[in-house]
Amino acid sequence: MLAGATLKSAYYSQLGRTMKIRLNKTMVAVATSALLLVSVPVAGITAAANATAKPTYTIGYQGPLSGGNAQLGLNMEYGVQLAIQQANASGKYKFKLRFQTLDDQGDPSVAPGVAQGAVANTNLVAIVGPSFSGATAASMPYYGPANIAMVSASATRTSLTDSTANPNNNTFFRVVADDSVQGPADAKYLVTTKKIKKLYVVDDGSSYGQGVASQVSTSAIALGATVTTASVPGTTQCQAGTGSTSEYSAAATTVVGSHATGLFYGGYYCDLGLFLGALKTAGYHGLIMSDDGALSNSLISGTTPRSAANNVLISCACATSTNAAFNVAYDNLAGFPATNATYAAEAYDAANVIIKAMSQLTTISRGGIVAKLKSSGFSFKGITKTIKFQHNGNISGSAIYVSKVVNGVIKQLGLE
Amino acid sequence: MGGFIHYFSSHFQTLGQEFWPLLVGGLANGFLYGMVAVGYTLVYGVLRLINFAHSEVFMAGGFASFFVMQHLVGTSSPNGISSVLYILIGILVGGLTGSLIAMAIERVAYRPLRKRNSPKLAYLISAIGASYFLFNFAGKEFGRYSVSMAQPYTNHPLFTIFGAGVQMYDIIIFIAGALMLFGLDRLVTLTKLGRSIRAVAQDAETASLMGVNIDRTIALTFMIGGALGGAAGFLYGMNVGVVYTMGFTPALKAFTAAVLGGIGNLRGAVLGGLILGTMESFSVAFLAPSYIDVTAFGILVLVLLVRPTGIMGERLGRSA
Repeated sequence: MLAGATLKSAYYSQLGRTMKIRLNKTMVAVATSALLLVSVPVAGITAAANATAKPTYTIGYQGPLSGGNAQLGLNMEYGVQLAIQQANASGKYKFKLRFQTLDDQGDPSVAPGVAQGAVANTNLVAIVGPSFSGATAASMPYYGPANIAMVSASATRTSLTDSTANPNNNTFFRVVADDSVQGPADAKYLVTTKKIKKLYVVDDGSSYGQGVASQVSTSAIALGATVTTASVPGTTQCQAGTGSTSEYSAAATTVVGSHATGLFYGGYYCDLGLFLGALKTAGYHGLIMSDDGALSNSLISGTTPRSAANNVLISCACATSTNAAFNVAYDNLAGFPATNATYAAEAYDAANVIIKAMSQLTTISRGGIVAKLKSSGFSFKGITKTIKFQHNGNISGSAIYVSKVVNGVIKQLGLE
Repeated sequence: MGGFIHYFSSHFQTLGQEFWPLLVGGLANGFLYGMVAVGYTLVYGVLRLINFAHSEVFMAGGFASFFVMQHLVGTSSPNGISSVLYILIGILVGGLTGSLIAMAIERVAYRPLRKRNSPKLAYLISAIGASYFLFNFAGKEFGRYSVSMAQPYTNHPLFTIFGAGVQMYDIIIFIAGALMLFGLDRLVTLTKLGRSIRAVAQDAETASLMGVNIDRTIALTFMIGGALGGAAGFLYGMNVGVVYTMGFTPALKAFTAAVLGGIGNLRGAVLGGLILGTMESFSVAFLAPSYIDVTAFGILVLVLLVRPTGIMGERLGRSA
């Protein structure tokens, strides 16, 4: 109960903080334009001062900053922002960095417009993101030809690094393992470790959810489990699709009727929260596991009743940050702890990877960063892991972690 | 062919096990659709217009009761008589907020156009505009995350019919929905206000000649529909949580229910809601969860093709 209250207050303080930051940004913008107006008569002096100043480059972050999945986007936005602030404050680079947010709502239909805008900004040299797989695929036709490196902290769809499926993926990198690693590892965990013989696999109809879910089904069948699959499209309530919440109670009834002892959900926290409430009402008592899309505290605040989220297992290629300095700095900036912010540490690493590549270039350019990231000698020791890219943009070597909701709090259990 | 038969026999088998739970769940949804559908039907009765901002009345009721429940219930888990009290408060708060928002919509998006004798298309657009304004405003003010409501009751199976556990939640919806819809039916049939509403629905001009205050009647019609829509927002939010976009799909379904039952016909709207909720629920067992909306809107298309006036649709002008 205490946990519920703390969570709620954390949620609201976070909202407050977000608003405060927005307000600060507005004030900065107003102040800057006022300064510009004042500086018109002394333009000559300002220009002289600028001659010795460091050149400024923009790094973008593309992900969902509004809509039902905004929490994941905000987690990453603060990670990138922190890396950039620290780089600027350190003074050890021969350039200054500017930060630009690119809100694609995680939506493949919104992403192309956002990407086109980013490409048009000639000062932008690289981006962290996009965060969602669907939006990433939709953005590639713009970033690829423009030679802008996309370093995603969370897009795990396997085919993103397949150049037949996505011909413009030449500038795509990711600092996490893809679904071809996560799905089979989850299936092995359910069937071998948890001894589930009858598994029900549900996806949310999104390209990400279906990708993970089909990997889990295929691997679970190969390991000898009986698998039933169903696709329950995401709801407008979560802004991820066109379905309605009424389908969850009926879907939960069929899950109970199937006598499955394990349920895997491929999708995001918002719809999973709705489904968990329905499963509890329908009287489902088996094991429930989901993917990294569900790894968010909003899963618990969005589940009615909150207790229905207890004991849910969540797998992720990401690890919770154990870096104390990062955790303190992140909490100060974001107003909520890094340990609760999925992919925050990875986004921080992704931004620092770009910064390191830039620091090793004599002339900084979009193409130069891509070439540097692809070069075999390049590696970066981040706070999550040592990052080194394969030629197709995938990270070399990675592990899957599993967490569990215990009394309304997500606790990392360790490696699967 | 053999595969086909096997497909159906296996689905009938699941249906056998799940018939009652699916029926109970479907009827509970149906009551919610019905409560929202009467809002559409009432407004259609007096204005011959579809109020496309009605979804936001539902959302507003959900949010208002969310804040009240958070304040009153917090993290406690009430049961027994205190649950009943909290639920009554939730319904009242949701209903009151719903009727106020509906009144505001009438004032801002309908009355000025009515005074100017604008074409019907103008009302449609101003209602959609009001809807977009309201849900985006809610998203800005209350955040864009789905949040769960503090539960004023403890959900558990109360009793079983043919092996299907009937949940507390379903019972709350049945009782609340049935009482409110019955009350509305009596109000429209027996009271003076109900008579004015029916008079305006039949012939607004003649009604005004007979001394019916048209403006007041239309405003009250919006408010009555809004009260039920707002209360439905509370009952819905209690089970699935609230978010600024929560009104869209349920309201579209309720509109379907209103057309299915015969738009302009109150009892038809309720019947349409119950049929729609049940059909949706069974489509999950028969087909797949992803077919649920295909079923709902397939029904709408069929009704419009075969019987455009709906199941209970009388002559359009004489209903409400």
